[in-house]
Amino acid sequence: MVKNYVLLLLIAFSVFAQSSCTSDENYVPTKQPKQESPVVFNPEATPFNTLSEYHFFEGNLKDLSPVFGVLPYEPINSLFTDYAHKKRFVWMPSNQKATYVDAHSTLNFPIGAVLIKNFYYQNVLPNNLTRIIETRLMYNTSQGWKFANYIWNDDQTEAYFDLTGSYTDIDFIENGQTKSTTYRIPSAAECFTCHKSEVNSIPIGLKPQNLNKSITYSDGIKNQFQKWIEVGYLEDNLPNLINTVSNWEDTTSNLTDRMRGYLDINCAHCHSQDRHCDYRPVRFAFGDYQGEVSLGVCVDPDTPIAPYSKIVEPGNIARSLVHFRLNNTQEQYRMPLLGRTLIHEEGVTLLEQWITSLTTTCQ
Amino acid sequence: MKKPLFTYLFCLFVVAIQAQTNSDSCTDADADTAIVGPGTFTINGIIDGTEIPSPICAANGTGATNGEWYRYIPNNDYTVTVTTDLTQNTGKDTRVHIYTGVCGSLACAGGDDDSGSGFLSVAQFNVTSGTTYYIAFDDKWSDSEFDWQLIEGAVVTPPPPAPITFTQQALATNGTNRAVVDMNGDHLDDVVAVTATNININYQLATGGFNSVDITTSSADFTPNWSLSAADFDANGYTDLLYGAGQGVTFMKANSTGTGFTEISGAEYVFSQRSNFADINMDGHLDAFVCHDVQPNVYYLNDGNGNLIFNQTASGTAPFNLGDYSSGGNYGSIWVDYDNDGDSDMFIAKCGGEEARRRNQMHRNDSYYDVTNNLIVNYTEVASQIGLSDPIQTWSSSWGDFDNDGDMDVFVGASSGTHKLMRNDLDLTTGTVTFTDVTAGSGVLDMTATGIENVTYDFNNDGFLDLASNGHILFGNGDMTFTLYSDLLPPAGSFGDLNSDGFIDGFSSNGTIYMNDTTTNNWITINTVGNVSNINGIGARITIETPSGSQIRDVRSGDGFRYMNTLNTHFGLGADTTITSITVEWPSGIVDTILTPLVNQTLNLIEGANQLSVDQFLITDLILYPNPTTHSLNLNAENYILNKSDYSIFDMNGRQVLKGKLINNTIDVSKIQSGNYILRLSSNGKVKAQKFIKK
Repeated sequence: MVKNYVLLLLIAFSVFAQSSCTSDENYVPTKQPKQESPVVFNPEATPFNTLSEYHFFEGNLKDLSPVFGVLPYEPINSLFTDYAHKKRFVWMPSNQKATYVDAHSTLNFPIGAVLIKNFYYQNVLPNNLTRIIETRLMYNTSQGWKFANYIWNDDQTEAYFDLTGSYTDIDFIENGQTKSTTYRIPSAAECFTCHKSEVNSIPIGLKPQNLNKSITYSDGIKNQFQKWIEVGYLEDNLPNLINTVSNWEDTTSNLTDRMRGYLDINCAHCHSQDRHCDYRPVRFAFGDYQGEVSLGVCVDPDTPIAPYSKIVEPGNIARSLVHFRLNNTQEQYRMPLLGRTLIHEEGVTLLEQWITSLTTTCQ
Repeated sequence: MKKPLFTYLFCLFVVAIQAQTNSDSCTDADADTAIVGPGTFTINGIIDGTEIPSPICAANGTGATNGEWYRYIPNNDYTVTVTTDLTQNTGKDTRVHIYTGVCGSLACAGGDDDSGSGFLSVAQFNVTSGTTYYIAFDDKWSDSEFDWQLIEGAVVTPPPPAPITFTQQALATNGTNRAVVDMNGDHLDDVVAVTATNININYQLATGGFNSVDITTSSADFTPNWSLSAADFDANGYTDLLYGAGQGVTFMKANSTGTGFTEISGAEYVFSQRSNFADINMDGHLDAFVCHDVQPNVYYLNDGNGNLIFNQTASGTAPFNLGDYSSGGNYGSIWVDYDNDGDSDMFIAKCGGEEARRRNQMHRNDSYYDVTNNLIVNYTEVASQIGLSDPIQTWSSSWGDFDNDGDMDVFVGASSGTHKLMRNDLDLTTGTVTFTDVTAGSGVLDMTATGIENVTYDFNNDGFLDLASNGHILFGNGDMTFTLYSDLLPPAGSFGDLNSDGFIDGFSSNGTIYMNDTTTNNWITINTVGNVSNINGIGARITIETPSGSQIRDVRSGDGFRYMNTLNTHFGLGADTTITSITVEWPSGIVDTILTPLVNQTLNLIEGANQLSVDQFLITDLILYPNPTTHSLNLNAENYILNKSDYSIFDMNGRQVLKGKLINNTIDVSKIQSGNYILRLSSNGKVKAQKFIKK
């Protein structure tokens, strides 16, 4: 009997070792003494007045150097918000983990999970410095997801709770070009307008379709799911194959896949069932795709604006309403509705390439 | 054998010279050989002629930089087709204009942009033998070469024209075009365009035409991207503006000479949609209301000194609930007295998200005078009780008495999906209102196009209100049915009378006047000047009686979705050449009556200047009983035929406190306070009155 147990253990170990090696050479299971995360967070309490009180970061706050348990993450595609850069982190209470639902649905996060998203600009004029504008939190409570927002002071030493909405002017250099914007820090109602499904608040970017990529961690490059499972933030029940978006910036992918990736992250939070603008005849969500028609190809706009004949007129940028709306800064016409005052030139270029490539003849 | 061959060659030669070449300008075409018959022609090389075809005779406006010209003189009367919809042109994008007249002074005879397959053009027009026509293509979309064909056919009688047509005229403005409204108190509709730092007013001149004036403003925190509304909220004689933006609201208050504006911008976050000026708390001062897309609605109460106090429904000390859904969904507010009780109610067209968020709302105003003679104003949301709480996706609705039966009906214009037309079935006995869906068979579904702009005017002055919906007109037949004529108007813009001819004109968002070509119908325009009530008379109910029957209007600021339309009240009279009476019921309760005014004129009516002295209509043998009364007032029916007369009950201050139609010779007066009153009955312009006491 004893022999049998040893044999079983040996087999189990070899299988484990093999699968580990095949999936990732760098993966070495380690037995460390259980480390406590220093984060202070009670999902049912009123949000702290200052960002530092959560202890998400160590050292200089502005370095955004995460403490143990605060894990960086990156979506494959992210919403364009006037060229702001973003640093994202996730934290969960000890012994709590998220579970996989399906590729197109937000991970099922435990109560107490916190998503931490820092918005900053590099090369801010006049001194070419980095400036962190705001740190947005979404956290899951027994009453569902809630928002908190922390606005950074000029000294970049602290950020203060504020969900009333405000503006800050910023001049910066991006891709060698000087740009200016009156940056909008959103109010709670604006947060909710994008992050909603009917009456409930929801995260947007944390869908497996959009997380299935490797990023650089302090201990090397890893697939995010693998890392999350490793640190205990994700139930190990993922399927082998996850339907994954294309990176819209990846010029080696085909144009339609890139376009789908772009429209998914920039447009689908409004143009999906039960969302703010669910009544328009487009479905931009990656998982809702049923062919070009989902993206508006040959689809009549509900609100006609001359001379745009279709939402997407194949091969004809000048007659495509979606191009008018993305290539526009007038508030009543521009899309997305919130979060953008500048034209996303690289996004518009992709859109133009894609429309030009379409050869469908509309009926 | 040689002769036939020669003839054949000769024929080919004739065909060849018919293929007239393209010219760079109208005068070049004059110098070139004219086309005199059918044929296929080729524009050689790119479109690079220096004369840009003008005026524009096809869709999609200006933007061309070059043109190619041909001259055509038919030998007979024909219906001619000019088409680029040829197989060799597949994938190309053309636009054509056809003119009569002489070079330098051309008038449109036809034209087309995209009627062909893809973006090719097919223009059809009737020609007269021997007349010179110019056919001009432009490079609005593309300058690449193409073939086109001219086909002469038997004369086809054109379909009957629309009940009204409009002639386009350019008007230079400076900024974003938002309003047709009187700005300087002369009651002539002006054209308003704005930028963040400028208000451009094209003042309409009494002699015709406009005087364009730029008034620099401080840099507005918020600009009217989502809506603009206008009214004189500080009652200084000059119209003020409200800019509704995506993150807040700015007011521009005109100074005492109308030559400058003071900016008042609130710090509050407001995702503005439709805005209105209305006297929400009925204190005689104009307040402002703004639909909020993502929060409960907001309104600004006027303290009487021109200060506007911010209120948001369901927060702080906001006195009225005017739409409290936490995530908003409010798009098109419109103030209308739907229950004929003399105060303005508010309907909100709603859209987006879960059904509860987008069910339309009706906020009924239940104002009354309490025992100490204080006016109590209170709003109750009643849409589900009266059949208006549709979850239809809509950004605006049109309210008017489409069947001229004395109450306000509604067309809810779909932004996505199907339009809905509902008839107001006000029960004259009980005063209760229900709306009946009369969409099917009404003709409104002939209009499958959707959009966000819906208003109502009587464009052809036939006495029946029409619906202007996103550039299309549903002409009212006066019986809750409509006949569709598409694309008569710009898809978006403002409405008013831009040449003071009594016919409603349009002004497109891209700066083109659509001047009404008029009919022989008669009309009357009424400008309301309040004093006890707000200065614009917003909220007044105007009723006119003519031999054909009665019509009603409510004076309002802010209808449709984005634009501001005239504050003047306009009636078409059809063939009627007389008006029995005009009655203005002011929000104050004052009632003015003008008997037998002339038609085809504009009347400026000042509140209280035309109150009927009821004493002169007192009739001794009109007996009211019991008197004094507590609940019902009964009338003796022997002496007069009174059934269905309009009745009004006035207090001793001349204030109308109750009104309705007399049914079964009894009136329920239980809701009015104790005191002395005068009952006034009017029917066909004849007035009778008697005094009574309410216990």
